Amino acid sequence: MSTRTGRLRQAVASRTGTGLLLPLLLFDLLVFVVPFGYLLRISLSERSTGAYVEGTWSVEGYTYLLEPSNTISETFLFTLGFGVVVTVVSVTIATLYAHAMWRADGPLRIVLTAGALVSMFTAIVVKLFAALLVYSPDGVLNGLLVSLGLVSEPLRLVNNGVGAVIGQLYIVVPYSILAVYAVLSTVDESLLEAARDLGASSPRAFLEVAVPHAVPGMLVAGVISFTWSIGSYAAPLLLGSGSERTNGVLVSDLLLREFDWPAAAALAVVVTATVLGGLVVVRLVLSRREVTASG
Amino acid sequence: MTLLELDGITVQYGALTAVDDLSLSVERGELLCLLGPSGCGKSTTLRTIAGFERPDAGRVRLGDEGAPTDVTGTQPNDRDTAMVFQDWALFPNKSVRENVAFGLKMDGVSDTDRQARADEMLSLVEMTDHADDDPTQLSGGQKQRVALARSLAVDPTLLLLDEPLSNLDRRLREDMQLELKSIHERLETTMVYVTHDQDEAFTLADRIAVVNDGSVEQVGPPASVYTDPETLFVESFLGTTNLVDCTVRRAQTPTETADAQVADGGRVALETPLGEPLFAPATETAVSEDDHVTASLRPEQLSVTAGSETVDSAERDTAGGDGLTTTGTVESRLHRGSQVRYEVAVGEETLVTHRRIADQLDVTEGETVVVDCPAPSISFFDAEGQRLR
Repeated sequence: MSTRTGRLRQAVASRTGTGLLLPLLLFDLLVFVVPFGYLLRISLSERSTGAYVEGTWSVEGYTYLLEPSNTISETFLFTLGFGVVVTVVSVTIATLYAHAMWRADGPLRIVLTAGALVSMFTAIVVKLFAALLVYSPDGVLNGLLVSLGLVSEPLRLVNNGVGAVIGQLYIVVPYSILAVYAVLSTVDESLLEAARDLGASSPRAFLEVAVPHAVPGMLVAGVISFTWSIGSYAAPLLLGSGSERTNGVLVSDLLLREFDWPAAAALAVVVTATVLGGLVVVRLVLSRREVTASG
Repeated sequence: MTLLELDGITVQYGALTAVDDLSLSVERGELLCLLGPSGCGKSTTLRTIAGFERPDAGRVRLGDEGAPTDVTGTQPNDRDTAMVFQDWALFPNKSVRENVAFGLKMDGVSDTDRQARADEMLSLVEMTDHADDDPTQLSGGQKQRVALARSLAVDPTLLLLDEPLSNLDRRLREDMQLELKSIHERLETTMVYVTHDQDEAFTLADRIAVVNDGSVEQVGPPASVYTDPETLFVESFLGTTNLVDCTVRRAQTPTETADAQVADGGRVALETPLGEPLFAPATETAVSEDDHVTASLRPEQLSVTAGSETVDSAERDTAGGDGLTTTGTVESRLHRGSQVRYEVAVGEETLVTHRRIADQLDVTEGETVVVDCPAPSISFFDAEGQRLR
């Protein structure tokens, strides 16, 4: 970690480094720092019936979030739980899928890679409506299950928490797959053979050798899944029910329906802070791994 | 007692045949070297023994006690073999000790027992001080030792080594060869060792199997493979030699008339570009006139003496040979470390010989010399590369 900041400092110190960093810094400034500054400022304004009161200072927005009269803190906790569930399922699916991609060769690998990539070319809303068609009580999946006699009546897979999770998975899993696959594809094949040779079964060899190697990729997949789930909007709205309100849905409600901009901004700030906090934790975990790995 | 039998195995990758109907057996306790150039199928053979390749034809039989049993379809993890990989394949996320204990962990050996066994193996390869190190931080030689300890820890029936020393520099490689030999003598583990380095094979092996083009050319103790090669490939692969292209002429032995027939004399006369005919044995192998035959004259068997007087031909016959005795001109003289290499122009050919620096020849470039090679030291091969006998 210290070498990395050292390198950064070096880059900044040299004029070329600064020159090369400049476009990126400008971009970040324009699309992130400035708007986020506005958001922060609004979150610290007095609330009013008409959006917010300009030029005032107050923490009302934040205290409102904690008031027991509303369900904001419940929504926040629900969103955290939702994020954790989606992350765990997403990383698991991504690891298994990336493993299949990595073991496959020839046409099968191309098909699997396309399977992960093609869904990225589709708009989120299209993707979610497609999911609705598959998972709804009279959808493709339930039709199949019922006709095969596996279930007596259609499973309830949409308009509830399950639906929200399924919808969110449609969004994050492709990215998770690529994150895991990128790392997994660098595992030395002979390591797995060595493990097999020493008596490990195929799945055991994967667990003992490939998974530890893939941990950084799995962490990246986890970060992607978690940050997107915590800010998720479309999936819970389209595939969840009214009770699966996430932070994203709530912010939009506060902003557009209740016209409570300071509260909406405060919630957005808290969510962003939570995500950044999560990133810092992951970074610490990763750097500790590096330290122990390099002895 | 036979420990491993390869019975006509063939391994194909698409249109490419890596191993072609190869049969071989390995005796308990021996160290057998599979020696051949790269791409000859020796590594594929080893991987087939380990179970990483499923042969398209043939059987692999492996036995611990009693007769070998068929393991052709058995998974690598269920075979009692352990392999030392060319790049060592140490697990980067585990310590040296965990690496060595890995096989025992897979066998379900208790934690304390496998720690003890791992430490025992590490002391065998003199790596006790590095037990808690990260294997990626070790030097090549150290990695090599850990890989060996890891494979030995499971006490395999058969230890397979796939060019384990080829990534080390020469001095270290020679040290490790001797160390490996002493470990083999101490543990009496049966080993199959793949290498493309003939010196390594001669240092280590109890028996050498020379592999070419997917099949075994010759198997035997190092000395007999070297001195009594069965094919031209074995002769030329095992060391530098002078190959001379010859053409069969009618039999012409000194005691026979010039037009005697080829077959019954058991010897055939060869026209050579050396300016002197050579006589090849042909009791077992049939050759006919105008066939191409390759003569091999090993550099260390050539004697070169100053002066231009050839030995009287009658004297040569009583000396019991129709080897080569002719004159030539020293073309070059080259110091190569501990050896001096001479090139001598004889007829249309250039023959190479070498001497240790202490025994170097008293000849200079441009000098006319007598070149002599006794008949038993010359071997002849027919157009298919089979030895003429």
